[in-house]
Amino acid sequence: MKLRILLADDHEIVRRGLAALLQRHEGWEVCGEASDGREAVQKAKLLKPDVVIVDIGMPNLNGLEATRQLIQHDPNFRIIVLTVTDADQVVREALDAGARGFVLKSDAARDLVSAIEALQSKRMFFTPRVNELLLAGFLEKGHAISRKEPPVLPTLTAREREITQLLAEGRSSKEAASLLNLSTKTVETHRSNIMRKLNLHSIRDLVVYAIKNKLIQIDMGPETPSTPVVPPVPQETVEPAIERRPA
Amino acid sequence: MGPTVTTRILLVDDHPIVREGLKTVLLRRPGWEVVGEASNGAEALEKAGTLVPDVMVLDVTMPKMNGLEVCRLIRQKMPAMEVLFVTQHDSPQMMREALSAGAKGYVVKSNAARDLLEAIELVSQHRVFTSLARPDSVTPD
Repeated sequence: MKLRILLADDHEIVRRGLAALLQRHEGWEVCGEASDGREAVQKAKLLKPDVVIVDIGMPNLNGLEATRQLIQHDPNFRIIVLTVTDADQVVREALDAGARGFVLKSDAARDLVSAIEALQSKRMFFTPRVNELLLAGFLEKGHAISRKEPPVLPTLTAREREITQLLAEGRSSKEAASLLNLSTKTVETHRSNIMRKLNLHSIRDLVVYAIKNKLIQIDMGPETPSTPVVPPVPQETVEPAIERRPA
Repeated sequence: MGPTVTTRILLVDDHPIVREGLKTVLLRRPGWEVVGEASNGAEALEKAGTLVPDVMVLDVTMPKMNGLEVCRLIRQKMPAMEVLFVTQHDSPQMMREALSAGAKGYVVKSNAARDLLEAIELVSQHRVFTSLARPDSVTPD
């Protein structure tokens, strides 16, 4: 019987790359795909895959929250988190959420097959840096991971974290309510509780909090500096031939 | 005998999994050939010089040298080669910067599976193609 894998990433081009990589492996099949965390949770519950591969930075519901919800639903879900960074806090949150594998996107072509094989054998898979972090934490405190810093999101419930992400992504209370099948009033109550618990006073504060705590990701510029001042594109070179597509 | 190669493409992105995804889309088109791949800006310039592709599909954010700098150098040294950016930056400002650097195309990664074939078709004919995920965010100059 084939090993069934569910892929969740908001970029179709990444899902295609992952699917191409995994389908070369005899005995594995991609049983479903999801483009955000909410869809991943729904499809995982429905399809019951052997392994779920979840990108962290996804709209509507990020990969960490999706992982938490799936593990809460069924602790036997085997989840590999795909991430662009293995910074301490991200690692800590992924492990706390219940992920059993942690693969950097940049290394996915190399590590993902090994990660799935590890989970197949009821082992875990982490990047070398995460392994070092785990070992350091274990040696220091006899605990699985160092906890010098307090957990960042202890005061919010899972529902409040979901709503925080949606509001920080620019959705209104009404839109969030519709997505979560709640009344607008309930979302407004959650929103007030979130602001009170976190001592925030505006949506701007909420967005800053969401970015700092990796609930949402922001678009960073190129890594190496480019021309700081952008001249307008000369009309005559672009306008006559431009093909602009709607979303 | 396979189809005649009409367009030779160099893929440049620091994530192999993204290059793999781009290839699955490109290989659907008979006559298009992925002649090489590069994972950073410096490697892109080197391979562009040796492989001389018709179109370079280029990421913006990469180690060693970012895509904008690569694009400017390509336009100076190899003006016949066209550059199409495929990037996560869903930003009108970045799009303007890319076109100002000499690129003929700009596609955000979230639209790449849908738009890549059409974009390369146009760019290889020296025409411009742009596609943002949030076109309503485009503000007039």
